[in-house]
Amino acid sequence: MKGYARAAISAFRVSMRLRVVSTWAYLNWLVFPLIFTALGLFVLGRPGASGSHLVYGILGGGLIGYWGIAYLDGGNGIQDERWNGTLEHVFAVPTPLWVILFGKICGSLLFGILAFVPTVLFAYLGFHASLPAVDPLRFVISLGVLTFTFMTIALTLTPLFALWRWAFSFLNGFELGVYILCGFMFPVAVLAPWAQGVGDLLAPTWATRALYASTVSGGAPDIELWWLAAVGLSLLYLVGAYFMYRMVGDRARVSGELALA
Amino acid sequence: MRRFGAQAGVFFRSTYLQYVALFQWATLRGYFVYKILLPVTQILFFVELGVYATGRQNALYFGLGNALQLTANAGIFGVIATVANERQYGTLPLLLASPANRLVTFLSRAMVNVIDGIATVVMGLAVVVVLFGLNLKDSNVPVLGLCVLVTSLTTAGLGLMFGSIGLVMRDAIIIANVVYYLLLIVCGVNFPVSRLPAAVQAISYGLPLTRGIQAAREAAAGASLGHVSGLLAGELLVGSLYALGGYVLFRFLEGYARRGGLQEAY
Repeated sequence: MKGYARAAISAFRVSMRLRVVSTWAYLNWLVFPLIFTALGLFVLGRPGASGSHLVYGILGGGLIGYWGIAYLDGGNGIQDERWNGTLEHVFAVPTPLWVILFGKICGSLLFGILAFVPTVLFAYLGFHASLPAVDPLRFVISLGVLTFTFMTIALTLTPLFALWRWAFSFLNGFELGVYILCGFMFPVAVLAPWAQGVGDLLAPTWATRALYASTVSGGAPDIELWWLAAVGLSLLYLVGAYFMYRMVGDRARVSGELALA
Repeated sequence: MRRFGAQAGVFFRSTYLQYVALFQWATLRGYFVYKILLPVTQILFFVELGVYATGRQNALYFGLGNALQLTANAGIFGVIATVANERQYGTLPLLLASPANRLVTFLSRAMVNVIDGIATVVMGLAVVVVLFGLNLKDSNVPVLGLCVLVTSLTTAGLGLMFGSIGLVMRDAIIIANVVYYLLLIVCGVNFPVSRLPAAVQAISYGLPLTRGIQAAREAAAGASLGHVSGLLAGELLVGSLYALGGYVLFRFLEGYARRGGLQEAY
């Protein structure tokens, strides 16, 4: 166990060092979130807009940045391993793949959560917009649950990026679809019922709903249920991840084509 | 006349070769992901955002704006990659060594992406028609088509400008990403330009798309060609200035690289 922890910390440290010199990381952490915050506040912050609308503009950009770093940047990390010729090494070391990815993903989460800092500051300084009535305890718990959901999704899907290059391209192309289904910038309640059903299968949808509910007066009586739904779905993803890692590990060794995938 | 024919031959050969060698999305999977999935989800995201903010009656405002903005998908991403990939694939020295007319080879980089941009907008408009009930009955469809053509050309002009910068920059696609998303803010795609600060409004009217989208919205409401001709002329002028700026920059960087023997050193 101690050895696993050491390997995960090492993966975390290396991924952070690579990230702080990566232009892409800053694009996902700073530039895109600020652009989406500005867009959200211009569209949602029309004269006479309600506080609940503005909240989506203030936090939406940060959520998009957090997701972008936690998940897409993690996927890019695997592509970089491939291009740098180190992907085979990651698979070949005796440390299980999930331990290394866990360390890398923790780095993504730490970097990603910082996306809220520039976006909230930008909303306040640029648009004079602030969160109307934050319940600090519920907000922190919701953010923690959201982080857990991002971690489990990243942990489940990242090995697929190693096995199939197109998997990352596909999910990259569907990025805005994730924003819609998870309700990052507007509530999923505005979507068609079938789309809401799909969104309900995604753990971040519940965590995002709880996060927004903790920022407006009155909150939501069901917030504990939403946390439970988010955590429960995340645990289900982890069960899926167990089989996914076995499958990816086997296939990578059988085909021997990791670098060419 | 013979000289013109020779130059036209260079243009079309160059267009064909850049399509087979440098077109970013030349696989079925790549085309589906970046030219269908991404544009459709972009339209859905901004229309739903707009509907949440302003009500369902304004869905078409957002739908049409974002469908037109898709010209930038090909015009910015495609053209920047097409120019900048010459360096990445190691063909830049060959291009610089060739005696072919630079302006012709430079402009040919945009051709396939302009056609592709039009195709993307048509697909985007189809999504808006099917999902959000855009009614083209009262629209001036030929003028709307002209707006799409002009906007595709002008965004490609901007792409040529930034593509030239890509000749000396490793991650040109980063520029493409930033420019593409900034256009969503400053060009009146999702809210009127008049809501921007005065200084940013000046930038808006110095960019492609702003007038093109305005003209397309008016054409969708039934405006005649005469009514939108001023906007389209302004749009064309802006796009041409960017293309010209890109060409000047390309020639400058070419000279710089030639003098220093730096074609592959960037």
